[in-house]
Amino acid sequence: MDTTIKQSLEEIVGEENFSDSLIDLIAYSKDASEHHHRPDAALWPVNTEQISAIMKLANREKLPVVPRGAGTSLAGLAVPEQGGIILDLGRMDKIIEINIEDRLAVVQPGVIYADLDRALSPYGFFFPPDPASGSVCTLGGNVATNAGGIKGAKYGTTKDYVLALEVVLPDGRVLHTGSKCMKSVSGYDLTRLFVGSEGTLGVVTEITFKINPKPPLVSTAMATFEKLEDAGRAVNQIMYSGIIPSALEIVDQQTLIAINENTDLGLPVVEALLVAETDGHTKEETEFQMQKIISIFKSNNATTVKHAEGKEEAEALWTARKSSYGVVARINNNLLVEDLAVPMSKVPDMLRAISDIAGKHDVKMPTVGHVGDGNLHPVICFDGTDPDEVKRVQEASTELFEKVIELGGTLTGEHGIGLAKIPFMGLEHDEISMDIMRSIKRLFDPDNILNPGKMGLEE
Amino acid sequence: MEGKYEFEKKFRDQVLRCSSCGFCRAVCPVFGLTKRPAFNARGKMLVLKEVMDGNIELDDQLIETLFQCTTCASCSEQCPSGVQPPEIMKQVRKDMVHKGSCHPVFEGMNQILQEHTNIYAEDEPEDFERARNKKAEYVFFIGCVGSYREDEATMATLDILDHLKVDYTLIDEVCCSGALEDVGFEINGRLAEKNVELILETGAKAVITGCPYCSRTFNGKPQYQGLKDAGVEIIHISQFLKDFDLGVKTDKAVTYHDPCDLGRHCDIYEEPRETIRKIAPNFVEMRHNRADALCCGAGGGVRGAFAKNSIAMARRRLEEVEEAGAEIVLTECNSCVHNLNNAKLRAQKFKIYTTSQFLWQLLEEQD
Repeated sequence: MDTTIKQSLEEIVGEENFSDSLIDLIAYSKDASEHHHRPDAALWPVNTEQISAIMKLANREKLPVVPRGAGTSLAGLAVPEQGGIILDLGRMDKIIEINIEDRLAVVQPGVIYADLDRALSPYGFFFPPDPASGSVCTLGGNVATNAGGIKGAKYGTTKDYVLALEVVLPDGRVLHTGSKCMKSVSGYDLTRLFVGSEGTLGVVTEITFKINPKPPLVSTAMATFEKLEDAGRAVNQIMYSGIIPSALEIVDQQTLIAINENTDLGLPVVEALLVAETDGHTKEETEFQMQKIISIFKSNNATTVKHAEGKEEAEALWTARKSSYGVVARINNNLLVEDLAVPMSKVPDMLRAISDIAGKHDVKMPTVGHVGDGNLHPVICFDGTDPDEVKRVQEASTELFEKVIELGGTLTGEHGIGLAKIPFMGLEHDEISMDIMRSIKRLFDPDNILNPGKMGLEE
Repeated sequence: MEGKYEFEKKFRDQVLRCSSCGFCRAVCPVFGLTKRPAFNARGKMLVLKEVMDGNIELDDQLIETLFQCTTCASCSEQCPSGVQPPEIMKQVRKDMVHKGSCHPVFEGMNQILQEHTNIYAEDEPEDFERARNKKAEYVFFIGCVGSYREDEATMATLDILDHLKVDYTLIDEVCCSGALEDVGFEINGRLAEKNVELILETGAKAVITGCPYCSRTFNGKPQYQGLKDAGVEIIHISQFLKDFDLGVKTDKAVTYHDPCDLGRHCDIYEEPRETIRKIAPNFVEMRHNRADALCCGAGGGVRGAFAKNSIAMARRRLEEVEEAGAEIVLTECNSCVHNLNNAKLRAQKFKIYTTSQFLWQLLEEQD
């Protein structure tokens, strides 16, 4: 990095918050995806003023800037593909305000999801969109990716909770969007534009979230199905029965086989295993909902149905779903956690297609997912040092996303486009929509310095 | 694939298996303090991948991260891919030392143990006014920190053993030298032989150690195989004490800090709690406990080589003591007691002891 630029950056953040040491450049070269590229420097800013000064300088010098939270992106959102500066927001980790009267929380972007959840807990409140990486992921990252989680079907995703944002624009100006009111239709919805924008439009420096009262009780049940189609029909019937489960998860046959091959859990090798959870304030409320779900399981030929009495039993019913990632992640060297969503009625078709595609290309694609909102995660564990296997994985991925679009689905339910899904953007978005997206990017960031190379915005 | 370094031969698969999910961020004590991703297990694995790819060398530029790991194994507990970073770190450090890249503090430590019998280079052994090297049922093995830094805790433990009329002896012990394995060197054979010989001469059926690390070393390292061959059992004082009821009680709020060496490394979580619950009905857990316990920051040579960060990690642990509202913190490792006490602020009114030290205080108060 040019010495004058380095000096200026050090003046802005202080020498101790600047690094171009080899170990930091390597640590920031990767996120949880398969992509990697080293930055030229890393910064740990601690306030909005510093970020504004950094952006002014970067804009003037045409230096790429990549904002980063915990770097847990599974799609390469946080990889500095064109070098430049990593802006690690992890040290801006203050919960600024919890306001129960107005039902909101104001946080800095580096606050970890689990820390906000713990802070809300004494008030009986929670922040529902709970990604699997909740123990480490930062809320700034959740906003940038519009993160979801297993509660999506009932509680929605991050976008449903962001009321207002403070954002540093690529030219250094500080923009305030939205309002602290529960309702606001005042002007364009700039807040929603930033949610899920993958750090390509601005650097989020403060977030105002709507928070929810947490129902204290849950009821849990698990069912197995010999036929995928039966499970699919059960899911559909549940979702239009009038009951909205707080979680409805699926584990497919390949996952069950993988778990059995690598543990001594001895799970039933059926075509689908469903786990459902209902929540509420009284036992009557949670049980009323669960009984409806259980009767739907039964009328759709569930081979076994287990209903948990108490916390320990509930945890046992979650075992297959919750151990799947840890088991599959150990099978081989490289891990590709895919993300797609289809209309709920198409879930069985999609699961069949995943199984067929895996067979055709001789790859393993155990799949779990949030069937209550049609969001599936085929997890591909493969040997990245075997060029032939890598090629087969790529071919299978391409076919997978062609099928997703054919079924009226979308390329990503909650992980984002980043670098991983760029090759497929054209499948889902036509020229008009790409043109509008590129125009928006140019409006905010005419010199393309903010997280460049992501989302297929470069022509 | 044959690697250039020993760690590649032993751990190549594990390094590759790290999927960079970043879940270790939640638990790594060095990262928790510094918020610098180069220091957590993912950062370290990424650095090692680049070494294996031949992009960079194992050299001095990497000391700051590869030698700054307390080997607390929190990351191993959390890792979905089953990677064991502390084991990898220990081998990598050996490779680095072999290549001439070592943190100067650890070079010094190895040197000291070539010339002296303990890590503090104290030539005059601490006198605990007890018989040494006699025939007895048990040997009590103190360890360096207990001998030269936390001698009051050791004295209290010996008082309890006397009170319980245990037939034990001390020996002219020397450093078990297990810690050298953590910082790039090998166990010192001369010291190990001396310990084995002295223990066997007493005819003891078991060694009770005051230090969980010594216990791990005796139990797991081939240099101490002689003890196993002779049928000598190795137990930590916490395992020994759980079978006794000393008939004392406190109404103070007591919490327990799980030492990494006893907890995550030996899976001993309940024995110390059994003893403490007998004396303290008002027992409270810290937010992170058992397998999730936060490291005090002293292990893996970090206290010696990165003192400032080590103390700051201990402060983070003590914040949880305040959060739990405890008046007494008990633990089972002299090294933890030492680091936590060094980190304690004057405004923090709670006290930090080993369990046996606190037990002895209660016994004395009763008399």
